[in-house]
Amino acid sequence: MSARSAVHGTFALERVYDAAPARVFKAWADPAIKARWFVAPADWLQLERSMDFRIGGTERLRGRKGSGIVSTFDSVYHDIVPDQRIIYSYDMHLDERHISVSLATVELKAEGAGTRVVITEQGAFLDGYDDGGSRERGTRILLDQLGGALRG
Amino acid sequence: MTERSVTHATFTIERSYDSPPAKVFKAFADPAIKRRWFVEGEGWEVEEFTADFKVGGQERSRFRFRGGTPICNDTAYHDIVPNERIIFAYTMTIGENRISASLATVEFKPEGRGTMLLFTEQGAFLDGLDQVEGRKGGWGELLDALGRSLQS
Repeated sequence: MSARSAVHGTFALERVYDAAPARVFKAWADPAIKARWFVAPADWLQLERSMDFRIGGTERLRGRKGSGIVSTFDSVYHDIVPDQRIIYSYDMHLDERHISVSLATVELKAEGAGTRVVITEQGAFLDGYDDGGSRERGTRILLDQLGGALRG
Repeated sequence: MTERSVTHATFTIERSYDSPPAKVFKAFADPAIKRRWFVEGEGWEVEEFTADFKVGGQERSRFRFRGGTPICNDTAYHDIVPNERIIFAYTMTIGENRISASLATVEFKPEGRGTMLLFTEQGAFLDGLDQVEGRKGGWGELLDALGRSLQS
C-alpha cells in the first residue's frame, strides 16, 4: 500500500493575445480549434481525444509519451460564461497512477482590441508525486501554443 | 449585465471524531447517512438529493431555507480511496447564479481509536456573490453536524 498524501498548491499565469475575447473563447470552446493547441510535445502519440463543452460535460485527452508512459487528462466543466470565463476540474493519470486533481479557472478580459487571459490552477498532487513545477511549465507551453493557433 | 470576477482562496479545517476512519468515511459514502448531516436540518426543505458515490459519479442536492431561493450543490467525484481520502469538485448555485466552484480534499487519518479529518477547500468565488469566510464557516457547521450524526 502506498502512503496517501495530498499536497495542495496554486499558480496563476497571464497572457495578452492580439485577438478579441470571442475569438480566444472559441479556441477553448471549439473542439477542432482546441485540438490545434491543446496538445503535448512532439514525442507524444495521441490515443484518444473527446470533448463535450457544456456545464457537466467531460473532456478526455490520452496519449503515449516518448518514454512509453500513457498520460490521461480527464476533465469536467463547471462554469461557462461565453467570452468571459471557463472553470473545469481535471484528473491526471500517468499509466494507472492518479497523480493530481486540479481546478482550473480561465478568465478572459478585453484589453484594447485584444484579450488578457488569466489561468489559475488550484491543485492537489497525490501520494508523493512530485510535480516540481512541471504543471506550471506545461501550462505556459499550452498558452504559447494557444497564441500560435490564434495567429495561424 | 453581471460584473464578472473571481477570487481564489484556500482554507483547511480539522476535526477529531471518536469513530474509526471506516465509520467517518461511510458518512460521506452512504447517501442515506450523508443526507442526514449534509442537507437536512431545521428550517431546510430538501427538494432533491441524489448521490452516485464513485469516481466520475455526480451528486446533486437542492434545498431551500424557509421557502427562500433554491440553493444547488453539484458535485463531481474525482478520487476515492476507501477509509482514507475523497476528492471532489463542486459548484454552488443560488437561484440562477453560480456563486462558486471548488475543489475539496477530505483526508481521514487514524488517531488513537478515532479519526482526524482534514478538510481542504481550494475555491473560486464568483462575481462577488460569495466569500471564503462564509464558506469556511458553513463547512465548520457541516463537520459539526457530521460529528453529531456519528454519535447517534
